[in-house]
Amino acid sequence: MASLVPCPHCGMRPKEEFTIKGAAIARPGSHADANEWMDYVYLRNNPLGTYDEYWHHTSGCRRWLVVTRDTGTHEISASCDVTVAVKTGVAA
Amino acid sequence: MSEYRVTRRSALGSNALRSERICISALPEGHVIQVMGKEGGPDLGAFLSEKIGGGAKFAVRIAAPFQWYVVGDRALSPEETDTMLDTLHPHAAGVDQSHGRVRFQVEGAMVERLLAKGTGTDVSVEAFPVGHSTMTLIGHIAAHVTRVGEHAFEIMVLRGFAESLWDDCARMAQEFT
Amino acid sequence: MTSYRLDERGLIDRHTKLPFTFDGKHMTGFSGDSLASALLANGQQLVGRSFKYHRPRGILTAGAAEPNALFTVGRGGRTEPNTRATMQELYRDLEAKSQNRWPSLEFDIGSLNSILSPFLSAGFYYKTFMWPSALWEKLYEPLIRRAAGLGTASYERDPDAYEKCWAHCDLLIIGAGPAGLAAALAAGRAKARVIVVDEHAAAGGTLLWETATIGGNLAADFVTQTLEELRSLRNVRVMTRATAFGSYDGNVFGVLERVQKHVPEPVSQKPVERIWRIATKVALLATGTEERPLVFGGNDVPGVMMATAMRAYLNRYGVAPGRRTAIFTTNDSGYVLARDLESAGVNLVAIIDSRAGSTFPYGGKARVLRGAVVTDARGGRLLSSIDVSFGRRSENLKVDSLAMTGGFSPIIHLACHRGGKPRWSDERSAFLAPETTRGIMLAGAADATDGLAGCLANGAARGAAIAQELGFRPFPFEPGIVEGDVPAAPARPLWSIPGVKGKAFVDFQNDVHRKDITLAVKEGYGHVEHAKRYTTNGMATDQGKLSNINAVGLLADARGVAPAAVGTTTFRPFYTPVSFGALTGAHTEGHFQPIRKSPLHEWAKKNGAVFVEAGLWYRSSWFPRRDEATWRQSVDREVRNVRANVGLCDVSMLGKIEICGKDAAEFLNRVYANAFLKLPVGKARYGLMLREDGMIYDDGTTSRLDDGRFFMTTTTAYAAGVMNHLEFCSQALWPELDVRLASVTDQWAQMAIAGPKSRTIVQKIVDEEISNGSFPFLGAKEVSLFGGQLRGRLFRISFSGELAYELAVPAGYGESVADALMEAGSEHGIQPYGVEALSVLRIEKGHVTHNEINGTVVPADLGMGKMVSATKQDFVGKAMVSREGLVSPDRLRLVGVKPVDPRASFRSGSHILTKGAAETLENDQGYVTSSAFSPHVGSTIGLALVRRGPERYGEEVVVWNGLSKEFTPARLCDPLFVDPENEKLHV
Repeated sequence: MASLVPCPHCGMRPKEEFTIKGAAIARPGSHADANEWMDYVYLRNNPLGTYDEYWHHTSGCRRWLVVTRDTGTHEISASCDVTVAVKTGVAA
Repeated sequence: MSEYRVTRRSALGSNALRSERICISALPEGHVIQVMGKEGGPDLGAFLSEKIGGGAKFAVRIAAPFQWYVVGDRALSPEETDTMLDTLHPHAAGVDQSHGRVRFQVEGAMVERLLAKGTGTDVSVEAFPVGHSTMTLIGHIAAHVTRVGEHAFEIMVLRGFAESLWDDCARMAQEFT
Repeated sequence: MTSYRLDERGLIDRHTKLPFTFDGKHMTGFSGDSLASALLANGQQLVGRSFKYHRPRGILTAGAAEPNALFTVGRGGRTEPNTRATMQELYRDLEAKSQNRWPSLEFDIGSLNSILSPFLSAGFYYKTFMWPSALWEKLYEPLIRRAAGLGTASYERDPDAYEKCWAHCDLLIIGAGPAGLAAALAAGRAKARVIVVDEHAAAGGTLLWETATIGGNLAADFVTQTLEELRSLRNVRVMTRATAFGSYDGNVFGVLERVQKHVPEPVSQKPVERIWRIATKVALLATGTEERPLVFGGNDVPGVMMATAMRAYLNRYGVAPGRRTAIFTTNDSGYVLARDLESAGVNLVAIIDSRAGSTFPYGGKARVLRGAVVTDARGGRLLSSIDVSFGRRSENLKVDSLAMTGGFSPIIHLACHRGGKPRWSDERSAFLAPETTRGIMLAGAADATDGLAGCLANGAARGAAIAQELGFRPFPFEPGIVEGDVPAAPARPLWSIPGVKGKAFVDFQNDVHRKDITLAVKEGYGHVEHAKRYTTNGMATDQGKLSNINAVGLLADARGVAPAAVGTTTFRPFYTPVSFGALTGAHTEGHFQPIRKSPLHEWAKKNGAVFVEAGLWYRSSWFPRRDEATWRQSVDREVRNVRANVGLCDVSMLGKIEICGKDAAEFLNRVYANAFLKLPVGKARYGLMLREDGMIYDDGTTSRLDDGRFFMTTTTAYAAGVMNHLEFCSQALWPELDVRLASVTDQWAQMAIAGPKSRTIVQKIVDEEISNGSFPFLGAKEVSLFGGQLRGRLFRISFSGELAYELAVPAGYGESVADALMEAGSEHGIQPYGVEALSVLRIEKGHVTHNEINGTVVPADLGMGKMVSATKQDFVGKAMVSREGLVSPDRLRLVGVKPVDPRASFRSGSHILTKGAAETLENDQGYVTSSAFSPHVGSTIGLALVRRGPERYGEEVVVWNGLSKEFTPARLCDPLFVDPENEKLHV
């Protein structure tokens, strides 16, 4: 039922306020080849353990976040604004 | 048709629901300016409060990171709106949302209990002090909530949902009226 | 009829008598009674028939685990089956009915099943209903369904309200017994935000029937004083009648509060039940223990009861269990009950202690048989005697009531809901909470603490430690000296009792007995999860609260391993059943989902609109006139009028996004497949938005209002999605671009004014000149209205193919402006039109919507391949849109289709077959995406996605509707059915 997701801007919020996009992986550059694009669009890892995902705080601050979630326990170990994640190399 | 007098319909009219422990009342459809600063840019709170909020209490609210709402009870003429938007330049971009956002106030001793029926945000005064604002879901509708007093909150919602959210809040208030 | 009310004793209010009925029989209880205690006080010990064998059953417990005393309570829409009499407070005129019996509780035909019992053993369903499979649907399933389940739900509407609510705290304490109350005081005094929940009507837990004293006070007085202090603390909230039913991610607990389940007439302003979602930093389970039944023959005969329950009925409710009582115990707790029974004047016949070496200093009058067991209890609807075996001797004792206790298991459900596995403790002969419980701690008996003094001290210490951990200054709390308590140390468990003859029940609610468990092991279903399914042990509504531990013990014995090797089945929410009403909460009827209203809603209403739900919006679908009998007549008229004169349509629901910033144009260039960088100020352009896989995501027009300011419209359906997508692009993909996005959908009332006479009408209210020369097709600008009274935005765009405008005005003025346009257009024949007419108009012009843009379509499929920029370095979808498969000439592509016989018709979704081809998947040529009756063509017309479609104009095909078996001869054609040269747009 209910679970809470930490938003770096708004604090703990119910998951109903968020939209999940999926794996936080970097978009290939404009010159990338077809294989890179196939991987980006269609191929995903399915790890047991920590996983970086794009979450959108849709009914809150409307920021895109990178949320690090354990797929086994659902525990969230990190949550940061996507622009911060880009800067620190977590995503994109 | 310059002789035709254009009239304005307010989304909630002068609706009010009053009882000893809870009171819900529509606020004037004055002005709401959405201010969008530059990502990673400076905090414009003080600037906005002074330059376009006129220093009024709760005139400037945080909308999102680098975004604010400037809110007031008075409706502005198109020229006044232009002046406001020009003042923002080049610090921020502004968008007039005076018709797109509708405000109402919920107050009374049971106000926290009422809001807890809709939002998962902790609205206790320790976690949500006077002057604090946030966007959150109330039931199924996203709304911008500002604490304007120990027992008073202002709720700002998309115009299209205003009636629906009002009805939901009235239902939540039933047990306290 | 042997149980009875004592003249004194108990926490009931003997001055307030409450009449009630049981199976129509009139009875009386007192305020403070549970339904179960009131029945026992009235001597009603037979309360139900068991599930499978229809055996007579009595009240077994005094709490949430009750498997037998399940009633249908209430009447009409308030009828609630499977209500546990032990948890239901008595109220005036309560109506309770027993279940699973026919024609009556005293004489039940289903009890013949007992005679058939050799055929109803474990795996019965699997073994019996195997074949022939044809019988399943008609015979077996209805039969099983009729036999299964207890009680019947009402078909009447539930008149009551339900709701959900959030709460937040530092410490959530579950269970208001000695440990919970002590923890609450310690943490509460330290100023932590504390919530205490307890599933019972009154806080206190075991203290409500405890005879030991605390600091010289009666236990019940200690409860009163503690609650008084807790209620005086602003930071503490105590909720009773509130069951914590589940533990969820993020340390959120689901709690069901029964707000008005204990009153005769619920008031309508309040919910009857409320689900709390409590988010807490730390949760403390002070949930106590569950007493274990003993598995001897006839352990289900009415009159046999859990020892703690007997003590609770005696001390809390002043109810004696019978005239001749015995106690069957494996541990010291039996002697505490013995003392209380004797002090209340109940004739205690014997204490049967399974321990040969027990040295408990019992000073009472009853016989004590050490190293003895009860092998069988005898009696039909009431216990008459027990067979006791000790050493080589056995003896039959005449008793009418028997208490049993097989030891205690900590209640750890909530500590296991998030996946933790309980661990077996040899020392305590019990399963304890998992090693790591993430945000959950345990206290008191649930934490394997023995005795009242121990639980109080343990609770106080936990409360203080948690408060300190959370940064509060701890405040010591000394509960006072406990006197007269008998801590019952864990004793060796007694799983398999030797010498049993009759049915010895493990799971009372699902009628699983000891032989079923051993049979499961014999037949290869000895794994705890297999045994559960094979025998149905633990699968009833009580979720095996009493039975699981004995099943594990018996499995261990049968398999010759330790209980640790057997393990437990998985603990899942809900701890106890939760009503659908509570889970639904307040979201019913008008509150089921939000209603989104256009600023022109009232305008449409007063013009007679029929509304249709489109997502959350209410859109006007057509505007019937008095002389029109069918919707088609209205829609045909509206369509004709737009093409002949002029119509007004509310298009406020289109998504509207303002895009600002120095890089706004570059941003649009990257999110649209076509070019936007050089769109001039004052111009609108149709844009195609792709997904990264190359398929079309959405379309709409975007206008440039200023160098750094654009106004985008999206489709109604994808408005929210497009906004999310644009935010993703700006925040995650290209944060280096200076672009800011604001949703302005609700700021503007937007109306389409379409038809050859539209300019004349719009010009009447717009102050600026809007001739074709000064404001040509795809013009977009801010305009002054009504001599400067108002500002709006005017766009010369068209969805109907006619000369048309879209006018946006601040939402609050929408209705007034629409009124003015109707007035201005009255002499030109203006009429409102709805989405049905809008749809006909766009199909006539071959304009696509999400019917066509269905996620499988690339621009070339719609004849828009040339729009996709070949020169832009990057845009969303660029890399994949030119993949081999997406440029194949064999793809389904957009065409028009119309029936050969104009009187014939077809529906959207129908498939296209080559003339003469059989209706097979291989022959499928495509499908109709949109269809409507076109008054201008004079027949049904459609848009379709057809293999190599544009190469096949003129070909006769068959439109095949497989559902209604219709075959309509039709012809493929250009999708522009009206004004193919688009001349009317540019006049």
